[in-house]
Amino acid sequence: MGYFAESFAELYNADGWIDMGMYIGSGSSMPGWWTVIASVMLVVVLVKGNTDEQDQYK
Amino acid sequence: MEDQILALTAELAAVKSAAQVTNTMFAEAYYYLTIPLMVLIHAGFLLYEMGATRVKNVLSSGMKNLLAFAFTIVTFYLFGWWFYWALPTFPYDLASGAGYMEISGIAYASAIALPWGDSAQYMGPNMADHASGVFWGAFALFAATTASIASGALIERIQTVGFVICAIVLGSFAWVVAAAWGWHADGWLVTEFGFHDFGAAGLVHAVAGFFALGVLLNLGPRVGKFNADGSANHIAGHNMPLTVTGLMLIIVGFFGFLMACIILPGEGWSWYADQGTTIYGTPMTLSALGFNIALAASGGIIGAWIMTKDPFWMMSGCLAGIISVASGLDIYFGSTVIVIAMVAGMILKPCADWLEGFGIDDAVGAVTVHGTIGLFGVVVLGLLGSGAPGLGAFAPEDTVAISLFGQIVGAIVMFLLGFVPGYIVSWLVNKAGMLRIPDEVQIKGLDAVKVPARAYPESMVSPDSDS
Repeated sequence: MGYFAESFAELYNADGWIDMGMYIGSGSSMPGWWTVIASVMLVVVLVKGNTDEQDQYK
Repeated sequence: MEDQILALTAELAAVKSAAQVTNTMFAEAYYYLTIPLMVLIHAGFLLYEMGATRVKNVLSSGMKNLLAFAFTIVTFYLFGWWFYWALPTFPYDLASGAGYMEISGIAYASAIALPWGDSAQYMGPNMADHASGVFWGAFALFAATTASIASGALIERIQTVGFVICAIVLGSFAWVVAAAWGWHADGWLVTEFGFHDFGAAGLVHAVAGFFALGVLLNLGPRVGKFNADGSANHIAGHNMPLTVTGLMLIIVGFFGFLMACIILPGEGWSWYADQGTTIYGTPMTLSALGFNIALAASGGIIGAWIMTKDPFWMMSGCLAGIISVASGLDIYFGSTVIVIAMVAGMILKPCADWLEGFGIDDAVGAVTVHGTIGLFGVVVLGLLGSGAPGLGAFAPEDTVAISLFGQIVGAIVMFLLGFVPGYIVSWLVNKAGMLRIPDEVQIKGLDAVKVPARAYPESMVSPDSDS
């Protein structure tokens, strides 16, 4: 899950500034896993929200 | 001499590089600033809806509006953005391949618009990408706008989670398909029918308005809206000044919304090196918007005033004025805009009354303001703008020009893309028992049942509430 660079010195060289993600986990499968986690959380939140709401109407 | 030429060449390269950096940063800042301007649309819808709600339901309405904003933006990130790039040629090309401009199709969308795999680099911070995030942000706010438009029509009787599901379908699917087909240089409505909708009168407003109509048919009216003989009662909101101020904030946001519809020059994704354009690559300037938005807003207010003398409808007329000319803001003359917008303001209330005659309780007139007037605007452009080129200079030679037929086809498609998904998803949500709030809860007041907070001091009691 590490960051893609240990130092920014090389990036500021002529060819260092390239088209690539600069976030934690860039170039790995981590963005996909975070997307899965976020999607599951959204579904769970909607299910829980609906359960709570139906209880309010009883 | 040779040394001087080399030095000058190097200096010229440095100047060009600096100019490009300035252009790139300006373009990034330009689109970035449209995002908070469009957030003002949501601030406006929030005030508008809460003002149009009775005291007993005010916080519940506000909460629903906030959730529409939040869930639409999140789901637009997860899958809505992908639909926009994937579907422009579908169903003309059932495999949804790339169009003429080669900026569409499933393969292209999967390379730039999915938050996983290799395309993830364009869905988050990127060292060299100054465009994806700001474009995505502007489109996400367009998406949230559609959900807010529908939200107002449904106040005071729709369940929260049921509404959120409808908002997700509208904001991250229905309008996105409309945008892919009619607001993209490879969209089949554009390339095959010359459909033109610069400011999204059809693909945002009409889709959202008729989506709301589809939901309303399954949702039913508020308790007390209609009498046994079918006649309608007026259910006044609790705060007209809040509503009118909210509508004016929406107008402020519209300037950002429409500003975001311009493609700036000089970047890799631009149509031209030195000229701004519409999303179709046709000529466009901010100055055109300066003339036409202000005139449209004013024309709409004036038209609604002469018909109603009611500040609510005057501000709704203001919205309607802009929506009525949004499709052709890039090619209308100012005086033309005044006439179209005034007519829109005049027909607004009669159209809303006509809809109410069918027993449909559109609490804020959203179906009329956004749906009916949106389609009116799309078709009027066909009447006045036929023959104008539909795409810019890089388009194929046989590109279809704007025509009345093409605009009518587009209007029908926009109606269906709103109404059908709205009806189907709300029917399913209704079958799951998640659509309509029980009548006894409506009578008691939603805030007392659903919200652990009070909108106003305890001494202020709602005259409509049992509690």
